[in-house]
Amino acid sequence: MKQSSGIETGQTPEGNLVFIFHEPPDYGHARLLWEDARRILENQRPQGLVLDFAQTATIDSAGIALLRLIWRFCSQHGIALQYRSIPPSSEYFLRYVETGAGPPAGKLSLSPADLISGLGSFFLKQAQEVSDLIQFIGDFTVAALSSLRDFRRFRWREMFYYAQLCGADAMPIVFLMSFLIGLVMAFQAAVQLRQFGANIFVADMLALALSRELGPVFTAVILAGRSGSAFAAEIGTMKVNEEVDALTVMGFDITQFLVIPKVFALAFIGPLLTFLANAAGIFGGIVVGVLALELTVSSFIKEVYQILTLTDVFSGLAKSFVFAVLIALIGCFRGLQAEKGADSVGRQTTSAVVSGIFLIIIADAVFTVLFHVFNI
Amino acid sequence: MKSSAKENTSPGEAIRVQDVSLGYGEEPILQNLDFCVYSGEIVTILGGSGCGKSTLLKGLVGLLPPAKGHISVGGMEISGKDPKSALMAIRRRIGVLFQSGALIGSLTLGENVALPIEEFTSLPRDLIDDIVRLKLEQVRLADYARYMPAELSGGMKKRAGLARALVLDPEILFCDEPSAGLDPVTSAEMDELLMELNHSLGITMVVVTHELPSIEAISDRCIMLDREAHGIIAIGTPASLKAESTDPRVQAFFHRQARDKVGESLNRFTD
Repeated sequence: MKQSSGIETGQTPEGNLVFIFHEPPDYGHARLLWEDARRILENQRPQGLVLDFAQTATIDSAGIALLRLIWRFCSQHGIALQYRSIPPSSEYFLRYVETGAGPPAGKLSLSPADLISGLGSFFLKQAQEVSDLIQFIGDFTVAALSSLRDFRRFRWREMFYYAQLCGADAMPIVFLMSFLIGLVMAFQAAVQLRQFGANIFVADMLALALSRELGPVFTAVILAGRSGSAFAAEIGTMKVNEEVDALTVMGFDITQFLVIPKVFALAFIGPLLTFLANAAGIFGGIVVGVLALELTVSSFIKEVYQILTLTDVFSGLAKSFVFAVLIALIGCFRGLQAEKGADSVGRQTTSAVVSGIFLIIIADAVFTVLFHVFNI
Repeated sequence: MKSSAKENTSPGEAIRVQDVSLGYGEEPILQNLDFCVYSGEIVTILGGSGCGKSTLLKGLVGLLPPAKGHISVGGMEISGKDPKSALMAIRRRIGVLFQSGALIGSLTLGENVALPIEEFTSLPRDLIDDIVRLKLEQVRLADYARYMPAELSGGMKKRAGLARALVLDPEILFCDEPSAGLDPVTSAEMDELLMELNHSLGITMVVVTHELPSIEAISDRCIMLDREAHGIIAIGTPASLKAESTDPRVQAFFHRQARDKVGESLNRFTD
């Protein structure tokens, strides 16, 4: 008999190798025993192996995993495996020894074929998403036209509910953020302009920047974070709870029922909130102008009135209308993409905000080019 | 008239499924399904977890188009190339009770039940309110019309879902696990309610369940699915399946016997 650090070896009369476990095959010794077992098996390559448990009181899950590795090694190398003196308390676990033929659970397969297949699946998924988005926009267009044709069937109550939720309830945060942005911008500009005695131009800069660019964009970012995510979460949860399926089998048009009121509400309140944001930003500028630049309220307002044209104001409002529609659409689309499970709703909600902000930036760039081309 | 909306069941047949395969990906969960449901009977679809019961139900109500084959419900084929018109027509004639009740969380119970009437009829408000009250009485929830779904227990949500499914007097009612997760008394009440509706109104019912007491209480016939067979392994009355079927999977299901495969390998260690 030879004794390795954890395994005692011997031979049967037929010439088969015997492993007597000197240490119990458990969480504390499994690693040591496997290293010994593998070394001995690789060196000796016996025709048969007998695992003797005579000195082993119990075997736990780590021990079973060890036996599975030994069994797999023996299977791969044509070694006949036998078991002797199994402790009765371990019989429950032992039935699983020879069921572990598959790859270890949770191990990622990284063969080249799998990588190519994964890449293909990724592109197919993206293509499917684009196709779903086109289908969704088509459904929305049909439903929107049908709603505009038949006002009696339009869900007014829901639209006003969402207008209140996304518009009236968002007024404090929109006001505060825009006021502070106006304040900070005016203060930063004042430091520079004061050197040239051009204090009054703070009003010009602020009015133009806010009404043409910052007002619509900041309002849209707030809407994406506040309302786009809420739409995705609401519709996603409805999908998880089978409410969307229930509406479908009752014969409801999901786009008409769930999407249209939200999109129309946001399209309605987007420009209004932008108008509020512009006013709040200018108000912030006035505060800095009066306190730090020796300007009067009337001179500031007069300067704003002189520099701003209706085109400036309405181009900003037009932008905010488009931004609001995009945010609502992407929020609803992501919600409808949710699958079973709370994690899916979370993912789609995050995606609604990220996609919403991304679309705002893209649309803003498109508007900038268009305004430049058409000299607006 | 489009071919997709043609009459496609024999007299007495409420639902006909011919050579249907259903699934979500490339590999169908269910293959080569062939069965029919006759008018006025209660058919339960049963089988172990993951065998495709709910998938089949989704196929029957048009939420999941079949990969192949034909499904006709109420005489209309809903699995053609353009099933939209047939589906719209049939959806007014069927009711579906989902596993969780699937009530719209932002509406009261009364508003939930009134939803299909408001959408598909032009009845005046007072008449709608009275129909809602009647339906809630039928499911013994008359006092809860103003409650929000979140304020109700699981059993009450299911009963409210049933009231909504029944509100347009459907010819066929589909129920997904109506008694799952309910205590034995509430579960028995739900079974009684379904039988009462079937007997008194003649509503054809397709009920997905794996609750043995419910199956034995309400079924006229059972359709048993099996995950490994990817389809139907037995059709018959619960009594005949339990007593006469020679299929070990059917016997294991009706006699609540475990199918222990790994246990077989134990023999070589314990001998």
